[in-house]
Amino acid sequence: MGEAPLQNRAAGSASKPPPPSHPLVRRAAVTMTVIFLTVFIIIPAANVFAQALSKGADAYISVFYAPRTPPEEAAPSPAERRKLAFHRSQVERTWSSIRLSMAIAAIVVPLNMVFGLAAAWSIAKFRFKGRSLLSALIDLPFSVSPVIAGLLFVLLLGRSGVFGAWASNFTWPDPFSLHWRGFAQSWWPLEATQSFTGVIFTPLAIVLASIFVTFPFVARSLIPLMEAQGSDEEVAALSLGASGWRTFCKVTLPNVKWALFYGAILCTARAFGEFGAVSVVSGHIDANDTMPLRIEKLWNEYNSQAAFSVASLLALFALATLIIQALVERKTRRDEVSAAEEKGTS
Amino acid sequence: MSIEVCHISKTFNQFEALRDINFRVETGELVSLLGPSGSGKTTLLRVIAGMESADPGSGPVLFDGHDVSAEGVGKRRIGFVFQHYALFKHMSVFENVAFGLRAKPWRQRPREAEIRAKVGELLQLVQLQNFAQRYPSQLSGGQRQRVALARALAVEPRVLLLDEPFGALDATVRRELRRWLRKLHSHIHVTTILVTHDQEEALEVSDRVAVMNEGRIEQFAAPETIYENPANPFVFKFLGSYNLFHARKAASGDTPAAILPDSRSVTFVRPHDIEIRRENSDGCGIAAKINHIGFGGAVVNIELVRIDDESVVDVALPAHAYKGLDLKPEDRVFIRLHNARSFDEDYSI
Repeated sequence: MGEAPLQNRAAGSASKPPPPSHPLVRRAAVTMTVIFLTVFIIIPAANVFAQALSKGADAYISVFYAPRTPPEEAAPSPAERRKLAFHRSQVERTWSSIRLSMAIAAIVVPLNMVFGLAAAWSIAKFRFKGRSLLSALIDLPFSVSPVIAGLLFVLLLGRSGVFGAWASNFTWPDPFSLHWRGFAQSWWPLEATQSFTGVIFTPLAIVLASIFVTFPFVARSLIPLMEAQGSDEEVAALSLGASGWRTFCKVTLPNVKWALFYGAILCTARAFGEFGAVSVVSGHIDANDTMPLRIEKLWNEYNSQAAFSVASLLALFALATLIIQALVERKTRRDEVSAAEEKGTS
Repeated sequence: MSIEVCHISKTFNQFEALRDINFRVETGELVSLLGPSGSGKTTLLRVIAGMESADPGSGPVLFDGHDVSAEGVGKRRIGFVFQHYALFKHMSVFENVAFGLRAKPWRQRPREAEIRAKVGELLQLVQLQNFAQRYPSQLSGGQRQRVALARALAVEPRVLLLDEPFGALDATVRRELRRWLRKLHSHIHVTTILVTHDQEEALEVSDRVAVMNEGRIEQFAAPETIYENPANPFVFKFLGSYNLFHARKAASGDTPAAILPDSRSVTFVRPHDIEIRRENSDGCGIAAKINHIGFGGAVVNIELVRIDDESVVDVALPAHAYKGLDLKPEDRVFIRLHNARSFDEDYSI
């Protein structure tokens, strides 16, 4: 019945046959697409790898690996030693950026999976006042320029920002400095030897900016599927006496797991790739460099081969994402079609 | 277990889905809620199930005299069956049926062997014992709905609530499942409420039928009563095809009835309650001309036009009676009305 607020008939139009078209039109359209993709995507992507390897495999490896600085007596000359030390510091900074990028993704993606799931759940399964406003707000990070997103956080949490007084005195431990202390002193066995003060221009700000920028991906990939599935299965589980948590784990989550995974992949890709927002809040401090920021710095230091080498890592990662995404997309499409079939074809 | 619903109203954004409903189902009864879409029947079922809460100010929902209004859907011990099955897609048939047993709190949860035995028994009951390891997507619609029923029965519900359970199935399977449901009900005897918009289904399976319209119960009675003594024009109209005359019967109770034109009354006659004769021997026939003859197998549907006011009358004639009369289009005949029902027209329909 129409008045039941939870029912939704979002029948998918997934398996329509293609409309008839003139073979010439079809061929022209395909050719145009191929040319476009070649010029704007395939050639530049190939160029990344070509540039990265332009000085040979040794040069590529040396971006990521530096031999130990030899002891004083073994070094040929002070100048040589300085060069080696510089090389080593460069490699260290590159690795620091890779570590930071991974840590950011490891924090941001799980958080956004939880936020996204909650947002999608409330939008897809409930009808309430302001629902369409909430739906529009979820898309906001898509429409706002990332630079502005970064600036927002600076204006909020920066020294003269709205919450500046509190934020600039906020002290938090550096998770990278955590080490095992044992139970001798207190019940908590971990201790951080370093801590940060302030939010802006620290990795915490990068996390915040990344959350903002990547927020829509999980929610957007879940909402259509959840709407198509409706809430009959959840209600059925509840009527059988299952608790809310059990219903969520055994019914809701398995039904959307592929869509959730798909969203998480998009989210990860964006978290790794985000430049604008992160650039603003990082304060261009070396320790705050994520991979894209590191690439920019290397480029500005006229070290284009190293920049492209780091970029090639990101490109490889993007490629892997693309492949997983294609595989997962097929699964989510299947979920959506089966949900639509169950509802629509009666 | 008996169910009682007292003064229940429910409004969705100014749409009154239920208006002050009072309703009582006795223990072991199978009751149908019958009505067109939008009449509030599903809403009433969902209020009884606890999936929807009634408007503030409504009375309680009583199960065996106990107020369950404050209890959630999981606490009421109901078995609910959905129109679109709502089976857990990623679980096998076995796991679907076992879900309610496994979801019980730790202390009451049966042992694995008991769960197996119980699920096996239920699958036997719904005649799907060979399908335990299949997934819902591998079953036909009728099989899925039987799994849904077994799943609902697994928790030994005090009441079974069926929301258009056969609505998504084709006609043959529907009829088959309907009989099967009736048999099942006489076997397990659990209080059952069935929501449907199919009159035939409601009349065939139920002990009593509640006909609903615009959030109200128009009539709540046994199927024969509903069909033969409809309380008002809506019930008459909803239960089958009909002819409408703006007239009243000349005298109550006579059959065949003579009717007198009267703009404030309406008289209804079912097409199969009209007799066609060649001559008007006793004077209560109405002159009409045959317009069209449609052959429909066991019955022949004949469309006539009255000579006096040119209104159209539909008649369903059994095939043998049709053959005896040797009717042709344009023939002039007399129609006689049996079981005519008159209502005053202060009713706006």
